[in-house]
Amino acid sequence: MKRLLIAAVVAAFLPAGAQAQTAQDLAKGAGDTKNVLNYGMGYNLQRYSPLTQINKETVKRLEPVWNYSYDDNRSEESQPLVYNGVLYVTTNSATMAVDAKTGHQLWKTKVDYPPETPRIVCCGIINRGAALYDGKVFRTTLDANVVALDAKTGKEVWKQNAIDFKTGYSMTVAPLVADGVVITGISGAEFGTRLFIDGWDAATGKHLWRTYTVPAPGEAGSDTWPGDTWQHGGGSTWITGSFDPELHTVYWGIGNPGPFNAAVRKGDNLYTDSVLALDPKTGKVKWHFQFSPNDPFDYDSVAEMVLADIKVNGKPTKVVMDANRNGFFYVIDRTTGKLLAANNYVKVNWAKGIDLKTGRPIDTDVIVKARAGEKVELWPSILGGKNWEPIAFDPHRGVAYANTLNFGMPYKAIPAEYKAGDWYVGMDLTQGWIWPKTADGKDGPRGYLKAIDPMTGKAKWEAPSDMPRFSGVLATAGGVVFSGQLTGEFEAFDADTGHKLWHFQTGSGVEGQPVTWEQDGVQYVAVSTGIGGVYSLFSGDERLKGIPAGGSLWVFAVRK
Amino acid sequence: MTHHRELAALGLMLALAAGSSVVAAEQSQQSAGISADLAQVQRGKGLYADHCSHCHGFNMVSAGNVTFDLRTFPRNQRERFFNSVTNGRDNRMPPWGDVLTQDEIGDLWAYICTGGK
Ligand code: HEC
Repeated sequence: MKRLLIAAVVAAFLPAGAQAQTAQDLAKGAGDTKNVLNYGMGYNLQRYSPLTQINKETVKRLEPVWNYSYDDNRSEESQPLVYNGVLYVTTNSATMAVDAKTGHQLWKTKVDYPPETPRIVCCGIINRGAALYDGKVFRTTLDANVVALDAKTGKEVWKQNAIDFKTGYSMTVAPLVADGVVITGISGAEFGTRLFIDGWDAATGKHLWRTYTVPAPGEAGSDTWPGDTWQHGGGSTWITGSFDPELHTVYWGIGNPGPFNAAVRKGDNLYTDSVLALDPKTGKVKWHFQFSPNDPFDYDSVAEMVLADIKVNGKPTKVVMDANRNGFFYVIDRTTGKLLAANNYVKVNWAKGIDLKTGRPIDTDVIVKARAGEKVELWPSILGGKNWEPIAFDPHRGVAYANTLNFGMPYKAIPAEYKAGDWYVGMDLTQGWIWPKTADGKDGPRGYLKAIDPMTGKAKWEAPSDMPRFSGVLATAGGVVFSGQLTGEFEAFDADTGHKLWHFQTGSGVEGQPVTWEQDGVQYVAVSTGIGGVYSLFSGDERLKGIPAGGSLWVFAVRK
Repeated sequence: MTHHRELAALGLMLALAAGSSVVAAEQSQQSAGISADLAQVQRGKGLYADHCSHCHGFNMVSAGNVTFDLRTFPRNQRERFFNSVTNGRDNRMPPWGDVLTQDEIGDLWAYICTGGK
């Protein structure tokens, strides 16, 4: 009897520990259909689910189950996590736990940042999500803090300041927990900062390591920066890296150099616009691959580095894939860093192609003139062939689904003067954009959802949209691909044809990252809605007038 | 031309003349301080590009659904402009009082009043 009682008491106190997400759970996240444990729905960032209850037939009966208000009217780009029937979601202003079946809030912990913080945020007041590990929820804040909350109660366990935000550092990134280390990136390359990736102890918050993405004099790669230019060299890290637990390697994309004006920093400017292969325990760089050396065009390469095992020339190969902002789709051997393929997946005029031997772009006169300060017509624009919005990769179809951008811009570099806390880009921002036209001179589609063959960059199909889509993509074994529109529609497409199967008006622009999971025999799909990201701020697209701000979370399931 | 039409045409001409005289008056008022104004607008434009355009849009062009469309800011509410820019608003528009001088906010005001054209 006494024993039983003790067992019961122990059990009552155990759940937080016993149910906590272990390193093994996180490593198996991609195949775990009951939970969504990782940003990117798996360490590989494939955003692919083996679930089939929602399929080409049943998707027509997809209906909302509940809606949860974020009480926040900023851009909602956060990816929900799901663990044991609880959704963990973030906005710039709060972290929340919500019952997955009922939509009832279990806890909400607000984020307080000084009102001047948004001054130094370049492209929307955003948070992209949390990480789960060992009973804790980890997130970053706009004023550059990393926070751990108790997953059961939302109470703060630890909080660490990465750096004083005032001169231009901000954090929107969802952390990655790899080999027990909480890894975070940072934003701010538009403000003349020098950026980095940090490792933190998950239990205590102790700072373990910092890897700068721009080397200081004497460090490897420092000869690619003339004079003092490294001090304002940028190299942001604002999208979560992928992780290969077998190779114990993290793949993290690195952002643009600062300022955009490339003439002031002649050289390759390592490791801007690169991917770094890192040891998660130490932050040491195992290898690097640079996409755009001496980049004048803000071809920031932070966006997701997707891991897959695919056949290359008939040989199964562990690769890392990237639909790069510079317009080329890269496939790289993730063990060695060797380039395997790089083909354009959108219109590109600044490079003729990528030299497979050296990995370097073959320049056209567009980039030569741009570096020399002449005004050029650039494709893709500085927002890229794809911006931050993550792709999905279907490992069975071998297809990458990407929300691509279809517009260019007049580009002209101008002198930039560094002043702490000020915008530092050295580009004429009054030139506007070049929007696509159809053959008969009408407005063409500014974006396409494309089904891309990674090895060729060619599209199997493309679904156009007047305004480009800026949401994440989700692929499923049911043959349904989910995406969203800035005009508010959450959409489902046939994975094989691109035929639109279903849509639902969410009430604000969809910039979220859809996820799916199964609970008690029901497959659910969740997505955040809420407009306010980079396109709504910079495009000047006045067709968005009728799209109200207002963040919320939608959950859908098939009607029985 | 019928009598009626003639009268209508005359009315239209008068209306146009009245309108254009108002415009002319405004222009002469503006040209009184034109050199100072132009320099101020130019400074305001530069400050706007550095501090405001990443939220309010390049050249002030914005759909106004996420932030305030500054082209529609009431021109007779100078004080409100100074107050909102100095102190921020609703915890969404950040405060600039510690970064910009009142003169600089005046330059921004001059630029905002042009509607970005
Ligand atoms: C971080 C983004 C951001 C930046 C940078 C920013 N604003 Fe704003 N601004 C906003 C938002 C959001 C609102 C809407 C506030 C509200 O009413 O909720 C706003 C509102 C305003 C308003 C209207 C206030 C009122 O009285 O209703 C003015 C005027 C304004 N901004 C001027 C400026 C100027 C001038 C600058 C540059 C010095 C600037 N803003 C920089 C986000 C920004």
